[in-house]
Amino acid sequence: MTPPSRDERAPEPGATETPATVRAASDPAGTGPRATEASLVARAQAGDAGAFEQLSGAYADRLFMLLLRLLGDRAEAEDVAQEVMLRAWQGIAGFRGRSSYFTWLYRIAVNEANRALEKRARRPAGVSIGTRELQLPSSPADDPSRQAEVSELRLALGRALAELPPALRAAIVLRDVEGLSTQEAAEIAGVSQAALKSRLHQARLRVRAAVGDEALVTAGG
Amino acid sequence: MGVPGRTDDHRWSQQHLSHYVEGDLRPRARRRLDRHARDCVDCERGLRAMRALVYAVQGLNGLAGVRAPATIFDRVRAAGAGGSSSPRGA
Repeated sequence: MTPPSRDERAPEPGATETPATVRAASDPAGTGPRATEASLVARAQAGDAGAFEQLSGAYADRLFMLLLRLLGDRAEAEDVAQEVMLRAWQGIAGFRGRSSYFTWLYRIAVNEANRALEKRARRPAGVSIGTRELQLPSSPADDPSRQAEVSELRLALGRALAELPPALRAAIVLRDVEGLSTQEAAEIAGVSQAALKSRLHQARLRVRAAVGDEALVTAGG
Repeated sequence: MGVPGRTDDHRWSQQHLSHYVEGDLRPRARRRLDRHARDCVDCERGLRAMRALVYAVQGLNGLAGVRAPATIFDRVRAAGAGGSSSPRGA
């Protein structure tokens, strides 16, 4: 099979990083989660596909959810998720562990999602993003009237997120929805922390304008 | 005619609600927004709305039964079956 071409806009994450095995040095017993991850990385880098699946499989659900949120289409998210894993497998030899494996994998995912969104935008009849994929059911612990309010707000948020340009959507999804630090989100998005913050603030302003203060304040209690 | 500077403060405050909630404003800027929001119903409400927005968006997180498809490693496995199982550079 022909390997996909490398993304010129996004250099292979971690290409100049310190070896992942260095991380394990602080835990000589090799019992910590980091050491486990480092040993899986080393085995995957040596060509052990099983180790790669174990390593990446730990993040698969979360990564798939991220793709659902960025793409809003389950079938496309499934397709892109497979591509992300293939690219990670093919690029893992270049991973040096300066960032966490999770950050590295997420960066590939965001790049691939952006690539898919660009392809979608070039299609004559653009498929609009599915808002259903951008929100989740409300907690069963809520009372029915509260649940209805929250559910309505989630729908509105889903619509507003779907309308955002991809770069702004990625910023708010990584930072607010995923709860990543600004540094992690910036690394994954491939921008400076200042740029990430700027995108985040713009995204929030747009979402606030789309949803409306009334709905936010009412549902927010 | 309005109070000098009031319109500027309002526009500036509306643009910086997210910065305020995020803790990204320097103390002087924070005091400027605080001072304005005390007398401005829109900005006071805007601050509450922005806090509620961040809280609500954070609430979208969670897996809630969403699982990655079983096919997620299919291309990796196919690449292996095709004879290029080793990662590049391994």
